[in-house]
Formats: sequence, C-alpha cells, structure tokens
Amino acid sequence: MMRYIKLVNFEINRFSKIYLSLLLITLVSQFAGVIIVTKSLLKDARDIMKEERLSEAAYITNYGSLDFNHIANTLLFVGPIALSAVALIFYIFLIWYRDWFGKNTFIYRLLMVPTSRLSIYLSKATAIFLMVLGLIAFQIIILPMQNALFNSNVPEALLNEMSISTITIANPILSLIIPSTFTQFLISYGAGLMIMSILFTSIMFERSFRIKGIIMGLLYCGIAAVLFLAPFFVMGFGNFHFYPNELFGLLLAIGIILTGLSVWLGAWLLKNRVTV
Amino acid sequence: MIEVKKISKNYGRKKILDDVSFTANKGEVTCLIGINGVGKTTTLKAIMGLTPYKGEILIDDQKMTKDSYEKITFIPDAPTMLPQMTIKQAMVFMSDFYTSWNPERANQLMGFFKLKEENRISELSKGNTAKLNLMLGLSLDVDYVLMDEPFSGIDMFSREQIADVFASHLIEDRGVIITTHEIGDIEHLIDKVILLDNGSVLKEFNTEEMREEEGKSVVDVMREVYQS
Repeated sequence: MMRYIKLVNFEINRFSKIYLSLLLITLVSQFAGVIIVTKSLLKDARDIMKEERLSEAAYITNYGSLDFNHIANTLLFVGPIALSAVALIFYIFLIWYRDWFGKNTFIYRLLMVPTSRLSIYLSKATAIFLMVLGLIAFQIIILPMQNALFNSNVPEALLNEMSISTITIANPILSLIIPSTFTQFLISYGAGLMIMSILFTSIMFERSFRIKGIIMGLLYCGIAAVLFLAPFFVMGFGNFHFYPNELFGLLLAIGIILTGLSVWLGAWLLKNRVTV
Repeated sequence: MIEVKKISKNYGRKKILDDVSFTANKGEVTCLIGINGVGKTTTLKAIMGLTPYKGEILIDDQKMTKDSYEKITFIPDAPTMLPQMTIKQAMVFMSDFYTSWNPERANQLMGFFKLKEENRISELSKGNTAKLNLMLGLSLDVDYVLMDEPFSGIDMFSREQIADVFASHLIEDRGVIITTHEIGDIEHLIDKVILLDNGSVLKEFNTEEMREEEGKSVVDVMREVYQS
C-alpha cells in the first residue's frame, strides 16, 4: 500500500510542472476574461444607452441585464478548461509511453519496483484522476471569486446577480465538470474513469503485441463502446423501452463491469504480456 | 540458484530463444556470450519478468514474484532513471521503494566511482551512466545481479573501475549473470560460460576446469566454437 501511495506521489510530481502551468493558465485567462469581458460588456451597454438615449431600466427591458453567463461562455473562460481537458486526455497516453520512449527507459526501473503490477497500473490511473479532481477543485475555488469580481464591477442597476449553483447549471461545460447532484457526479466521473481504464488497457494491448496490439486495442475500444451503448441500441432497434431509472441502472452496471474488466485485463497484460 | 529451464521466445516469426536451459549459482559469475542478436539480453529480461516467454525460470526454487525484486536486480546497458533526476534523487527513489537498499554501500560506491550526488543524470557521460547503473544495482542487498553489457561503449579507465568492482567484496557472495563482448576485462573473474548462438545454448563450461583440463581460455573456446 505504501509503495502504491509513493508511486501516485511520484507520478503526480512528474507532471507537476505542466499541471501547475495549467492551473496558472486557467487562473490568468479566466480572471483576465472576467475583467476584459466585463469592461467590454459595460462599454457596449453604455454605447447603446447613449446612442438610443435609454435609461438603465429601459436598457434592461430591451437588451436584458448583465450576468455571469456572458463571461462563462467566452473563449477566455472556457478555453483553459478545454486546454486542461485535452492535456489530461493526452496525458493518459503520455503517462505510459514516456516511460518506454523517453531519453531513458524508465519502464525497466518501474516494472522492477517490488510491488504488484496492478499497483503500478492503478497508481497511474489514480494520479490522473486526482489531477482531474484537483483541476475541478481549483475551478470551484476560483469561481466564487470571479463571480464576486464580476458583481463588483457591474453597476447594480444593470446586474443580474447569479448564485454559483445557477452559474454551473446554466453553463453546459461547467455543469458537466461541476455536477450538482450525486447522480450527475457518477455519470461524469464514472464515465471518465471507464474511458480512462479502457484507453489504458488498449495501450497495454499495444505495448504487449505492438502492431497487432493496435488492432486489438482499437477492437477492445469498439467492443467496449458497443457494450456500453447496448441499452440504447436495444431501444433503437428493438421494440423496447427503458424507464430513465432502469436506463441509468443499466448504464451504471455496464460501466462498473467494463471498468473492472478493463483494470483486470490491463493489469494482467502488464504483468504477463508486456515487453520492455 | 537461478534455474532457466527450456525457455523459448519468438518476436513475430523470428525465434529469439529456443529451449535455452542453464543454471547460475550464488557466489559465481556466469557469463552469457554470443554475437549480437543471439538472445542474451532477452534471456536476462525473461529472468526479470520483463518479457513473456515459454518455459520456466526459478529463483531459489520459486517463480518470480514482486518480492523477488528485493532478491534479484537487473542492470541494463541503458539509463533507467529519469534524465531530469539528480543522482541524489535517484538514490532517494531506490531507498523509497526497496527495503534492500543499502545506503552505506551506495555511498561507498559513489566515492569509488567519483560520482557526485548533485549531478543530473542527463548530463552524465556514457561511462558515468554505466557506473551509476552499477552503483544503483549493487547498492541493493540482493542475492543475484544481472548485468547487460556493462562495458559497452565506455572508455578504458571506466572499464577498469567496473572490473575492479567485480573483483571486490561487493560481488563475491552474490550470483552474477553477465552478458558482455569485452571478455578480456573480466575473464579471470568468470566461473561459468554459456555460449549462445541462434537462440540456443551451444556450449556450457566451467572456466577453471576448461583451463586445467584442456588448457584453453574463454577466448580460445569462443574462437573454436564461433569460427568453426
């Protein structure tokens, strides 16, 4: 257990520079977005009021009030979230391949650590999952600050003050990464874990069987996708209907089975089939 | 004792190892010799569980498990620590993960090889990288040490230093399996030779017996076998 925790710590430290850069980019870009977009919104509002000789109340009636949604939909706000997501998806591959193809073949040392190969597999998965949770936690911490900054810069008469929960529900990207219910949490993060374990296992296929392994990995991804979406196929092609609760239960059960199977298969390949 | 029993290994259609069997005892230096591509490195990787194979390998009558890595170590001819690490960080990594890490021996070897803790691994010369690999491997209190071409591509003085380590107390109680082309540097230290060709064992002999009974050195036998 201690070696597993040390391995998780080691993996996180290896990505720490890029990770801190992502946090910094998110912080700077989103706060810059709040300041720049707020100024621009206010300038536009004042220009319109001046041109059309509108009072603030009349402006709100004609054009609507200013709320945080105007910020949350801009590139400066959403961009770093997308960048972080892409970086972490890329890292799912990098976390394995850099050990084989880096300047030094660290995979020799890693596989000779006196711990189970399952621990090595899980430590990499845990590191990525913790980094995802860390990014989300960071977003949850800075979002109220950004909201407060926006509220303090917009005149009360033009402002539609939104709560954090309203902001997250109203924005599709924020609602995906910051779930408002436990069910949503299970869907978002459960699906993320499942996809990561399937990709890890595909990487293990490639590392075990090289060119044949690429085909096997792609096939595994395809079969997993078909299995996971099977309830929808049943509803689409068969004359059958699931109630939402039944559908959720089915997807949850299939997701848990696929994740468990992928972790077991990936760790088995790492132990018995992978070649250094 | 390490027992390699009829192991075979294919890369695609190419046979790399074909029913290879031999034993390596504790307190002995066993040398795997053969031209490039005959399966020397693959044999070491198979023993360490770094590549799948057919057949059986036993270490002290037991199959390889995660705990075996506290008993046996592999020193490949390439650096195995991250290039951005300093030597100190590499030593911390080893002490973090191996209960068999012996810090006194590590410091002794650091001094012997004149390595500095603050040196970054990416900045080490080929010779110093080989010394670092050796230092990290030999600082574990293990029963068996596997070395892949420890003299490959390094200068004469570094080779002499590494050969000195072979002759020292750092090796004497352990079982060593070594692959090398540079047989001259350590010929007098080798107890047993396994000559490989095309993935098979061509000849296996005890060096002392060979010298005493037939008056031949390892190099003489190599010439005889490979040039015939």
